Order: sequence, then C-alpha cells, then structure tokens
Amino acid sequence: MANDRLRALEDVEKEIAVILQCAGNIILELSKEKHNASLLDRQLAQFTSAVNRVESELSSQIRYLTQVATGQPHEGSTYSARKDCQMALNRAEYARIKLGELGRTCEVLLDPQT
Amino acid sequence: MSTQRVLPQSKETLLQSYNKRLKDDIRSILDNFTEIIKTAKVEDETQVSRATQGEQDHYEMHVRAANIVRAGESLMKLVSDLKQFLILNDFPSVNEAISQRNQQLRTLQEECDKKLTALRDEIAIDLYELEEEYYSSSYSLWDGADLPLCEAFHRRDSCASPGTSTGTSADGMEDIAGPVSQESTPGNLNGHSTNAAEHP
Repeated sequence: MANDRLRALEDVEKEIAVILQCAGNIILELSKEKHNASLLDRQLAQFTSAVNRVESELSSQIRYLTQVATGQPHEGSTYSARKDCQMALNRAEYARIKLGELGRTCEVLLDPQT
Repeated sequence: MSTQRVLPQSKETLLQSYNKRLKDDIRSILDNFTEIIKTAKVEDETQVSRATQGEQDHYEMHVRAANIVRAGESLMKLVSDLKQFLILNDFPSVNEAISQRNQQLRTLQEECDKKLTALRDEIAIDLYELEEEYYSSSYSLWDGADLPLCEAFHRRDSCASPGTSTGTSADGMEDIAGPVSQESTPGNLNGHSTNAAEHP
C-alpha cells in the first residue's frame, strides 16, 4: 500500500520530465523551416496529457494526505521483533561456533599424526 | 516566493501550501509555454526594427523557457516533499509496513528456533550414546558431581518403575549424585560399580 503511493509519485516525476521533453521538442520543431505537423500534434497531445496527469495525480495525493494525516508522530516500532530475531540468529551462530569447535576437537583426536 | 517555502505550523497549512505550489507551477508551465508559442509567430508590423524585435523575442523566449524549467524543478521538489510527508504521516501504510516487517521477523525467528530445537534433539540422542560409552569405560574421570545424561535417564526410568532395584553398592546409595544401576542395563553395572569402587 505504501509502496503503491510512492511508486505513483515516482511515475509523476517521470511525467514531469516528459512534460519538459515534449515542450522542448515542440519548440525545436517550430524553429525549423518546414514543420512536421503530425509530430507537432503528437508532441502537443503528449504534453497536454502529461500535464493533466501530473496535476490530477498530485491533487489526489494531497487530498488523501489531508484525510489521513494527523500531525502526530507515529510511535510504532519493529524494535522488539528485530531484537528477538537478532537473539535467535545469535543463538544459531553460537551453536554453529560450538559445533565447529567440537568438530575440530574430534578431528584432532582422531588424527594420530597431529 | 522563498517565504512560501518556510515550514508552516499545522498540517492543514502545509497541505494548502502544497496545493498552492502545485497550482502555481502547473499554471507557470502552461502560461510560459503558451507565450513562447505566441511569440514565435512572425508579425509584419512592429514598432521597432525587425532586428530589435527579434532580439527582444529571443530574450523573452529565453526567460520563459527558464521559467518553465524552474517550474518543473519546483514540481520535482514538491513531489519529493510529498514523498517525505507520505512516509512520515500516512499511518495506515506505516502500520501495514510495521506489521509486515514484524511478521517477517517473527517467522524468521520461529524457523531459526525450530531448527535449533531439532538440532538439540539430534545432538541429545548422540550425546546419550556417547556418555553411556564414556562413563562405562575405564577412562572416565567422573567424580559424581554432575549427573551424566544417560544416568539422568536411568534415574528417571527407575523413578517411573519403583519395582526395579535401585542400587547395588552402598557408595551409590550414599552419594546423591551417584550412579543408579539398573537391572535392565546389565552392561553398565560393571562400569558403574567400578567407578563407585574408585570413589574415596
């Protein structure tokens, strides 16, 4: 859910770049002696639609935030779960180290040359 | 223009400022682009010479193009501020992200503990056999303070079935942690009674 909204905002950033790109292409095309009318139409349509999309998407995001935001800080945390998981991984690591030591001890005892 | 960027006190003012910035930037892009297109039109009658008019139009187009780029940059900044505001204040998505992360961490922890428990059970079985072998041999240096695993199991079995004899040596009876010989495992008796005889 959070990722969808953030992804939508990243798409808006790409649309803003498209707006500037289309504006530049239109002016570049107009600067030529012979204009390509179909290219001009396409670029203009793309420019207009990108501007409308950016405006509507950002307006909807601001409307959603107006409904949802409280101004209070969020006090949730994943600290306890992270700590428990870290302890479990520490237990596993400790067991691995001890088994490693046991294995080395057995190898030393079984190898008559060392 | 810079005073509009000062952070307001309340979230309503902040969101209203976001709206205003959005409207201003979109209006700036559209107006400046429209004016550039209008300026591109070649007019026959001009108040000044054609060269002067051309220079003026050139400068005006430069300024309007710079305005369009500035408005685009301002929109990018607005998107960045909205992302930040969303991450900090969108409580439904923050709650969901926290609960998802907690679930992942709990799953990982349970899996880790389950594997450790399985490993412990396997090693306990091997340890039982190893201790039986070790403490029944003549190389054992056991002093009776620690109860070996096999003896713990033997004692538990003897407590569960009180009809069986619980000891054959007086040393074993006196020493609380002493070995408990079992009729069911006669192979261990020799080793344990040997150990008991070695105690002072």
